[in-house]
Amino acid sequence: RLQNVEKRIVRVLELAGGVMDEMASQSGPRKELVNNHCSEFMQLIKDIQFALREEIKSACEYRPFEKCDYVPRISNEICYKKLEYVIAQLDEMKQTIEGYRNAA
Amino acid sequence: MDGDIEISIDKLPIKRLDAIEENGTERFPSDVDYDEKRLNLIRRIDFGWAVEREDRSKKRKSEGTTSANESTTTNQHTGQWQSLVENLQFAQQELSVIIDLINTVQANDAVTVAGMTRPKQLPNELLSDLAVSTATKLQCFWHLGKYFKQSAAALEKQVAREARFYGALIRLQQNWKVKRHRLVAAASGNAGFFIDLFYNTLYDTSVSLRPSSMSTIPIEHDAAGMLAVNVPPNSCRSLRFEFLGSHSANNVRRSGETNMHAFSEDSSTETNKEHANDDECVRKTHSLLREVHRAIFDEQVFELVSREACNSSLSVNLTGIQENYLRLSINQGASVSISLLLSSQDNKTDIVSGTNSSETETIPSELSDWSKFREGKDNVKKLGFPNRISFEIYLQQLFHEYVFVRAKDKTSSSFRSLISGQQSKDNLNILDHFCMSLAHSIFSNKVLSELESLVCRTPYVQLISHPTWHSRTSSWTLSMKVPQSILHVGSQILSSGISNVKNVRSQFWSKVVVIDESISVEGVGDLNVVGLFNGKPESICPINRYECDLADLPIILLQQVASQVIQWLHEEALTVGIKVTRDFLSLAFELDHGEIASLVAHVDPEDTRGCISWWLMMDDGITENHKLHPDLSIGESESRKFLGHLSLDVLYSTLLDFVNLCSC
Repeated sequence: RLQNVEKRIVRVLELAGGVMDEMASQSGPRKELVNNHCSEFMQLIKDIQFALREEIKSACEYRPFEKCDYVPRISNEICYKKLEYVIAQLDEMKQTIEGYRNAA
Repeated sequence: MDGDIEISIDKLPIKRLDAIEENGTERFPSDVDYDEKRLNLIRRIDFGWAVEREDRSKKRKSEGTTSANESTTTNQHTGQWQSLVENLQFAQQELSVIIDLINTVQANDAVTVAGMTRPKQLPNELLSDLAVSTATKLQCFWHLGKYFKQSAAALEKQVAREARFYGALIRLQQNWKVKRHRLVAAASGNAGFFIDLFYNTLYDTSVSLRPSSMSTIPIEHDAAGMLAVNVPPNSCRSLRFEFLGSHSANNVRRSGETNMHAFSEDSSTETNKEHANDDECVRKTHSLLREVHRAIFDEQVFELVSREACNSSLSVNLTGIQENYLRLSINQGASVSISLLLSSQDNKTDIVSGTNSSETETIPSELSDWSKFREGKDNVKKLGFPNRISFEIYLQQLFHEYVFVRAKDKTSSSFRSLISGQQSKDNLNILDHFCMSLAHSIFSNKVLSELESLVCRTPYVQLISHPTWHSRTSSWTLSMKVPQSILHVGSQILSSGISNVKNVRSQFWSKVVVIDESISVEGVGDLNVVGLFNGKPESICPINRYECDLADLPIILLQQVASQVIQWLHEEALTVGIKVTRDFLSLAFELDHGEIASLVAHVDPEDTRGCISWWLMMDDGITENHKLHPDLSIGESESRKFLGHLSLDVLYSTLLDFVNLCSC
């Protein structure tokens, strides 16, 4: 969501640039275009403010790493090694069987 | 105003400026302006007298003409001249007035320039001013507009870059601890993030583990602004457990190394899509972090092991220490080494030990290697060495469970009882347990090989192994089942009218349990001496249990099996109705003429064709001794006939043959 806010900010800047361009145009600014831009600008600012407020409200306290899973992660690694080993054994068994089958 | 007005004033030759514009153009009072001013001033002057004069002159003229009608024409001439002169004079006067006026105006200019305010601007001046300012404002706007657009574009790029970086960081944060150094952030300009891979166990204050040098990994931006984690290439070490004297080749699947190779290849091929790149990047980082995490754990394990090994312990003898290398000797003369090796070194040891094929564990690719492979396996079995990888894993697991997991819940009693089942101390020494498990494993492998060789040669006995979930206990069962055909026949005989229906046992077993290098054998069918003397054949054969060593194991087992067979035959015979008596390993049938034919079992564990062989002995009650001690060296004689290795079917049919011979 914060990324959306950032995108909106970028869009706001673009709009401001657009308005400036319009004002700077030789034939005088086109009113409806400027109006549209400005209204969109205000709307975006409102949205940004709203979103930021929500985010700040909903941001929880900083709890440092209470769900650290490093220990289960190591168990996972160990299990992975066990699996590898078992698979190797099974492959050997399969080889043995095939060997007997071919020899017979 | 009649009199001459004479004012002598200097005429200033300089043309005064009206104003200076911002862009440096000077604006002089325009002529129009001057005329305007003059006109204004002139208007102020009252030319009424000139008008009156004109009127008077007109009246005079009219009077003059009327009064001078009878005058002479001479008067007319002079009058005309006079009027002309007068007019000229009047004109001159007027001109002089005007000139004086001009002079005064000029003088006014000279006089009042100090206090002159900015003259009120005329509309077109205003307009031009406005136009210029508007033009400049427009230009400002345009510059501003360009600036906004540029900054919008730059911000967008920055946002995109940071989105990639922070997106990846968030994904990493779901799995790893990401921390931030504020001070370092200021210094290196890098936002100071790093990943902390260290987990300190709270288990024992004396066993506090130092954080290794690798445990904090800095996160950096790489060229494209994406997050990158750089780990020096050869810093990851892995634990390795080896039996000395057998350089077992490394397993083909070493996950860490193959992954590393894969990455170095992948990085050279670029994919076009950013998304795929991002995912790849994050995945690579994950794997790298996993590798480092595992390496840290291995280092911790090694440290703990070395600490425990250096303390006094029961069954562990430390015979060698080097920097990352420990050598221990297990009590039965085996020697193991635990070492920390760099992952690249593992590959090197592969190449060196590749020639040693007797203990190779790599999967043979062709069948021509098959015989070598089997031979290798047999050798390994003879040496009794279990698979080293399994023990590597076991070591890691022990330490992990004990040190890390147990720290969390102190009340886990299951693991404790597992280790301290045979020690009554509270001090749990992990390495001791490990070494004892290792010793047990070696021993039980030897036992197993013995059992297997026995069972191979005895066709009607099966070996069943029971998994015990204790690392220092193993158990097997030798079971003998009466084949179905015999059971059918037996049941037919039974149903044909024999009165005493008795449930004949059809399955016999002997159980071998190895606990920590002591073997205990128990089984059905041992001789109940008391029962024999009582003469009750239906006495329940108790389950005996006793201990033995490895050397005696085959004979004991074979004897047990043979006695079980004898017992079975005995029971069958009784069911069928033959009169038999049973001895330790022989069954004696009473025949018609008082002769006794006895079936004697001979056990020989070294016999390659079969372990239990049968002799038929006929005697008439004289040669008792021979019955008890059959001797192969005597060979066959009249009273002894070697029947060979018989299966249960044949034995049963022999029994039935005896039925015919017996008088019952």
